Amino acid sequence: MASIIAALKQASYAYPHTDRFALKDISLDIHQGEFLGLIGPTGAGKTTFCLALNGIVPQFYGGRFFGHVTVAGLDTLDHPISALARHVGVVFEDPETQLVAHSVENEIAFALENLKIPREEMLPRISRALEAVRLEGTEKRHPQELSGGQKQRLAIAAALALRPDLLILDEPTSQLDPVGAQEVFATVRELNRTLGIAVVMTGHAAEELAEYADRVALLVGGKLVKVGPPDAVYGDVAQLETCDVRPPQVARTFYLINRLRGAESPVPVRLAEGMRRLREGPAIEIAGCYAKCVETHSDTSASLLSVKDLHHVYPDGTRALRGISLDIRAGEYVLIVGQNGAGKSSLVKHFLKLLTPTEGCVQVDGRDMREWTVGALARRIGYVAQNPDHQIFNATVWDEVAFALKNRGWRKAEVEGRVIETLSALNLLDARDRHPLALPRGDRARVVIAAVLALHPDVLIFDEPTTGQDYRGARAILDITRDLHRQGKTIIVITHHLHLMPDYAERVLVMGAGVLLLDAPIRQAYHAVDVLRSTYLTPPQAVLLAQALGNDVPLLTPEEVAACVTDKNVKRET
Amino acid sequence: MLTLQTVTRASFFTRLDFRPKLVLMAVLTLTAFLWESVALNGALALGVILAALAAGVSGRYIRRVLGLMAPFYVILLLTQGFWAGDMLRARTGQTVLTPLLTLPAHWWLIGGGQMSLEGVLYALNLIAKTLTMTLVIPLGVFTTDANAMIVGLVKARIPYKLAFIFSSTLRFFPLLFAEAQTILEAQRLRGLAFEDLGLLKRVSLYAKIAVPLILNALVKAQTLEIVLLSRAFSGSPERTYLHESRLAAWDYALLVSSALFFIAVLVAYFGWGLGRMGGPLANF
Repeated sequence: MASIIAALKQASYAYPHTDRFALKDISLDIHQGEFLGLIGPTGAGKTTFCLALNGIVPQFYGGRFFGHVTVAGLDTLDHPISALARHVGVVFEDPETQLVAHSVENEIAFALENLKIPREEMLPRISRALEAVRLEGTEKRHPQELSGGQKQRLAIAAALALRPDLLILDEPTSQLDPVGAQEVFATVRELNRTLGIAVVMTGHAAEELAEYADRVALLVGGKLVKVGPPDAVYGDVAQLETCDVRPPQVARTFYLINRLRGAESPVPVRLAEGMRRLREGPAIEIAGCYAKCVETHSDTSASLLSVKDLHHVYPDGTRALRGISLDIRAGEYVLIVGQNGAGKSSLVKHFLKLLTPTEGCVQVDGRDMREWTVGALARRIGYVAQNPDHQIFNATVWDEVAFALKNRGWRKAEVEGRVIETLSALNLLDARDRHPLALPRGDRARVVIAAVLALHPDVLIFDEPTTGQDYRGARAILDITRDLHRQGKTIIVITHHLHLMPDYAERVLVMGAGVLLLDAPIRQAYHAVDVLRSTYLTPPQAVLLAQALGNDVPLLTPEEVAACVTDKNVKRET
Repeated sequence: MLTLQTVTRASFFTRLDFRPKLVLMAVLTLTAFLWESVALNGALALGVILAALAAGVSGRYIRRVLGLMAPFYVILLLTQGFWAGDMLRARTGQTVLTPLLTLPAHWWLIGGGQMSLEGVLYALNLIAKTLTMTLVIPLGVFTTDANAMIVGLVKARIPYKLAFIFSSTLRFFPLLFAEAQTILEAQRLRGLAFEDLGLLKRVSLYAKIAVPLILNALVKAQTLEIVLLSRAFSGSPERTYLHESRLAAWDYALLVSSALFFIAVLVAYFGWGLGRMGGPLANF
């Protein structure tokens, strides 16, 4: 057994001015060279756990702290944070806020300068740190010029230059596109393996953590509920779902298969193992499954949003869109996917009149965009941005929802009626007098949706609505989109979280480098694996498991795969 | 919109250390403050504009500064042109001012008002002063790498904490600016056509942005504090620096020239009244 690099002994902590403990009696040893995944729903105490490891909790926040936390043999209560920083590197969630310098090399040098490392020693350390995260040659660039994944890798390099014993990453991929997330996971795993640095990583990326972590710790309500190898923690799907934690799709698929068959065999948590198990299992009668899951959808209604040969070039010369043509009909639920820079946001900004075409035309209801006024367009199309905090600018929930109505000159009674109707629909009436920014993130997102819905738009565009949300929060928002769709609204969602969408979307637009790569029903689009990969998207594990069954079965979810595998039509082979 | 920039072109100014640039900025600002002559201040402002252009500050940026200041300049011309007479007579001892324009006597409140040449020249002097003071900043700051700026400030005996705050402002200003733009965009997407709104309504909407912007800035500031602590930051000046700040021959030359220029300005001002109100060049 490797030596212990960090240890928590009966650690409990409550932030100031609260009786609620964010950490409750936690005892855990972290070993040298170990990769520990820390999972749990929002509010479980994951970030507090991370901050306790470098002394920020309780030294910076104050509050009540019990027990002991030691890192590299140093008690975090007895040693200043700057002394602990030599042993613990931290990478935070937001790539924008954690980069403090004006050049890549200065970003890495910052902590070294603070620790009075001589200049002659800094230079080779900077080179080695950049090499380790594969950012050589970027020394003189401004951190702002880097992509999201590169920024997080730079933050890792900045931590690495201190030669820490322990690297903590607090949800480092939650704000990244799949390419960026992949870059970060690959880099961290390599550092963990080659340099033997112990890693603690929190996050909701179940599939990746199951693949990379040596152990996984489940934290719920500040308590350490379970610690063990990924197979033990992610394999207990029932417990995870009770705790509002999403298991890897492969685990859920086999958990459902077990349940349908009344079996109790161990559940695989990694895709390769799941695919092997399916291939080795009995052959499946495909026809029966296929008939169940394929719905025909023909829509002859008139086009609501129409784009013809749309090109857009930004003032700096970036060609964001290259000849896009498509029609979106009333009542459709459309998903737009693609890597960062694929042109997704640029496309929807044309529907909102935030961008004007460089070439081509955009029509709403058959009328050219130039004929629409801002007010008329807002009544037709609502837009919910990724970060709800950027769309909140009133002092109460009520005022936020009433804002657009008052600006349209509605009478007081009319405004009141519409606001009450909208707040009730989104279960926000009790929060009517609260400041929107004082609400939890999920509720803030609902306030923004309510504010947009107050105008009764026919089309709603959601830009990355699930970013930064845990599984429960993400599903809650997507459930609202489904309700609205059922009411006849046209829904457009931009997201990287493909695994969340099969229960909601009907049609998928796959974009890459400003081009529409594929426009197809969701079953066809999700199974166009090569097209998805060409724009750096990873299909959900359920899709890959379905493909492992052979014969192009267009299944999308663990439920469908499990139902198919356990179907009575299974053709037994001896 | 005005934002902080860094010039891309290498020039004499980009090669200089930040310390002589700081001295130059101080000398030019003090000189502009001291002089009351429109000819001298005009020449100084023109010199600063030409130097800024030569150093790579974009003409578009300078036009934006001028555009932003234009309403204030119009107000200055009108107020000083019509109403600076008493002040000018008292300071120069001149009893009669040269009339340029007289408003019809029957006009309500302002009827009979007279615009004087001396008042207009005084307004132009103030305009030139503000131009020098405004444009000397991009000349000094935009031509300096932010990292070199911090080291330069510390070497100039500015406390490290202050230098760091200055640098962080440069780093995070664009983020706050982008956030403000996003909030404005959100208001627009709720049906607000800013271009159709009156001034008061616009101001009240801009004011509404302040609350989320400040709250978000506070959250960001706390996150930043945690990040800094995690990187062993304590604000102590006892630290090493990746960048070095060494004065070269050109830096010494600029330091000496700036000092000599300022001494000459002081001698000429107090000795011969050059640049003083009512002194030589007073009417130019």
